[in-house]
Amino acid sequence: MGYNWGMSETVQLFVTCLVDTFFPETGEAMVRVLNRLGVNVEFPTDQTCCGQPAFNAGLRAEARPLAEHTIRVLERLPKSSRSTPGGGKTSEVCPVIIPSGSCAAMVRHGYLELFKDDPQWLARAQALAARTFEFTEYLVDVLGVSDLGARWPGRMTYHPSCHLTRSLGIERQPRLLLAHVKDAEIVELLEREDCCGFGGVFSVEHPELSAEFLKRKIANLEKSGSPTLVVADTGCRMHIQGGLRRQGKAQRVVHIAEVLASQ
Amino acid sequence: MTFRQRIRASLDNENLQIALDNNARRRAEGRRLAFASMPDHQERRAHAHAVRADVVAHLDEYLDKFVGKVQENGIIVHRAKDADEAVQLVLAIAKESTQRAPSLQRGTKETFVNLSDLGGEKVLVAKSKSMVSEEINLNHALEAAGHRVVETDLGEYIVQLRGERPAHIITPAVHLRRQDVGQLFHDKLGIPYTEDIPTLTNTARKVLREVFLTADIGVSGVNFGVVESGTLCLVTNEGNGRMCTTLPPVHIALMGIERLVPTLDDLALFLSLLPRSATGQKLSVYTSLINTPLPGQTRHLILLDNGRSALRNSPLAESLYCIRCGACLNACPVFRELGGHAYGSIYPGPIGSVISSGLVDPKFAYLSQASSLCGACREACPVDIDLPGLLLRVRAGLSPQRTPSTTKEGEGIPSVVKLGLGLFRRAAASPWLFSLGQRALGLFPLPDWIRIPAFTGWGYSKDFPRPAARPFRVRWKNINREEAKDAKDSVARVDIKTIEKPTTPNINLIDLFSAELTALGGKIVHVTTRDVRARLEEFFKERGVDCVLVDDVGAKYITGIASVREPDATVSCGVTGALCAIAETGSVVLVSGGGQTLTASLLPEVHLVLVKKSQLLATLAEALTKREIQTSSSGVIVTGPSRTADIEMALTIGVHGPGEIHVFLLDDSEGA
Repeated sequence: MGYNWGMSETVQLFVTCLVDTFFPETGEAMVRVLNRLGVNVEFPTDQTCCGQPAFNAGLRAEARPLAEHTIRVLERLPKSSRSTPGGGKTSEVCPVIIPSGSCAAMVRHGYLELFKDDPQWLARAQALAARTFEFTEYLVDVLGVSDLGARWPGRMTYHPSCHLTRSLGIERQPRLLLAHVKDAEIVELLEREDCCGFGGVFSVEHPELSAEFLKRKIANLEKSGSPTLVVADTGCRMHIQGGLRRQGKAQRVVHIAEVLASQ
Repeated sequence: MTFRQRIRASLDNENLQIALDNNARRRAEGRRLAFASMPDHQERRAHAHAVRADVVAHLDEYLDKFVGKVQENGIIVHRAKDADEAVQLVLAIAKESTQRAPSLQRGTKETFVNLSDLGGEKVLVAKSKSMVSEEINLNHALEAAGHRVVETDLGEYIVQLRGERPAHIITPAVHLRRQDVGQLFHDKLGIPYTEDIPTLTNTARKVLREVFLTADIGVSGVNFGVVESGTLCLVTNEGNGRMCTTLPPVHIALMGIERLVPTLDDLALFLSLLPRSATGQKLSVYTSLINTPLPGQTRHLILLDNGRSALRNSPLAESLYCIRCGACLNACPVFRELGGHAYGSIYPGPIGSVISSGLVDPKFAYLSQASSLCGACREACPVDIDLPGLLLRVRAGLSPQRTPSTTKEGEGIPSVVKLGLGLFRRAAASPWLFSLGQRALGLFPLPDWIRIPAFTGWGYSKDFPRPAARPFRVRWKNINREEAKDAKDSVARVDIKTIEKPTTPNINLIDLFSAELTALGGKIVHVTTRDVRARLEEFFKERGVDCVLVDDVGAKYITGIASVREPDATVSCGVTGALCAIAETGSVVLVSGGGQTLTASLLPEVHLVLVKKSQLLATLAEALTKREIQTSSSGVIVTGPSRTADIEMALTIGVHGPGEIHVFLLDDSEGA
């Protein structure tokens, strides 16, 4: 993908409101992984939420100000992204990295829908969508790396989140990265592609349905015999871990960034 | 009952949950296996999407052409703008339909269907499965007018006897177990209680056979209308669709205006996708291709709009690409918990949650909230409809409004959630407020995971994480940014493997045909021009057959026993020729016309087909290029014996059509 090996690149981190507020360790792990690969990470501190919860609930009037805010914030490019010392050229535009399939899908697809009748904002949304990547996608498809020298002793299983897999088509990348983690025994999760029942507002508005999905996901996790469930979406993490806690189960849900950062 | 109550009732119904889990697992596996034999599945899917998009974009022109062709073919075409108009059209046809001479069964004692009160202008309607008829609530209207309607698809018949509506668009009785059906047949039909599915199926066969033979009107749906030829295509597995469209003197076909494909070549494409997606079959058992009325028969086609034009002119136009295969229902985790009835609309599942507010009742917009937007529906859709995207549009109040202000943004979302999202928006639109909120929440001395109460929704089944005392934005300032290291040593390049295209093995057509037919439960007998008659005689002798129902070809080869040409339900064996056979699906293609009907392949319990090796074609698409497909009165592609899986998804052979099919493959090559 035209990555200039060994040259530094600057990326903007869109950490998502859930990571920012509830799981800051995921953000820290991402920064560690990216720095280790020679990538400069910028964190535009004015960022808040991409607007996905309201958008998915159908409240587009509520989602729009947040989408506009996010576009505006991420349009302020860090200086270092435009050129690197010594004249080495990096990617033409500064990539935006998001540690969550559904938020990345919101920026890549949702914004285009949200602004489809507003040509000016649509153009801005398209420009942002074109340089937005989910974390594992960026590592594998843009940087072209597979082995990050990570080590995680023990058994783990991977839950392919719905938006990540089906909306962004990212399935191969996280698996490839996990396959190179030393001392890790990767087992397959039964019915792995089934939704965990999060679905944003769905998990609150249809609690009975959401609970059934979650029950099945947790039962399949137990069948896998794995103490660790790896995800690449914080919504699913919060949901499945919340269910495990409620049921008094010991399994842990971790974000893939934390696995890749561990040594 | 509110939607919430219906959801809870479904979840509490243990039998339903078992049946739905069974449905989800088996259908997923069936679909996977069926598409495994199609290496270009994704290309076909994209092509099918494009064809449907073109049809919906230019619907008026296609409809004009189609209607012209259908009329040329001698079928009476009606247009109905809404459900009421469609119902009135059917009632008017019923009124003017002359009654058949009372058949032998009418009035005799040992019948299941009491017809004694039918007389004068009242008629008996034999109905093949049609979602459009459910959409317009046709049965109710016909019954209110004193007519008798009998559903003839096994699953539909079961739900009709129970006074219910279908729970699935393909598998109407998906919510029932064999015990329910056993009890139902005991109560309603007076047979001894049994849980034996073949016995139950056979009982329905007997009852419904009477209905087919005595019905005044047959009503069916239409799976596809072919614009270039005016052909109506219907797919069924049991044979009831063929019965309803051929035996009664009047046939009424009901069709949504959007169900068109431009050419027979396109039809071949859709037929390669529909059965695979619906039931995991390469082809349904009976694919009927109807061009003209049969001699002495009147055929009507009612084209229904009922909100489709409005959908077409709304942001939900893509929902009209649907070919009603039901794959999105089977893939949907919400449907897996609810079944069809809880949705309240006759169209359940993901596609139902998109179209019901447009086609059935605007109030159904709230159904769109019953989705986690997981996208399993889109993945399963054979025409790649962006169902999650459409659900989002319904949620945003973008369904066509038939009355002003019936839909609004966030329909179905409780106002407290709306309020919460509004407050969140206000906070998140200001980084300063957002950060302040985070810090304030982080100050509470709470455990890492908080047990919040059930009424919050979230607390119903999970704990909630404590906001971090130091959110990422605070930590960022202190993150010790390591100097960007030269990564050369610690990372490896990815080898991107090119995916090898599966190669199609060069299989002999005869072997392929034999394998496919045998897998369906059909039999193949290899014969030569010299021994064919003797082999037939042998077959009849073994079976004790003394009379057969024949077509022109059958008549040529029959010696030594009696044969009849007129439809006769008492003859147990039919002998026919074929236009061609299809190796990839194990099918035989039969056409009618020139005084020849297709009853010999439908009424008897055993169907014997004579096919020459030179008539064997590789693909369905090739078969549909045959001139006779367009010039004959009607045709049928028969793929294996009649079957159903309507009770507990247990495959049962021989419902309405023949339970046995024997293909006598005649070696007509030189020197044979």
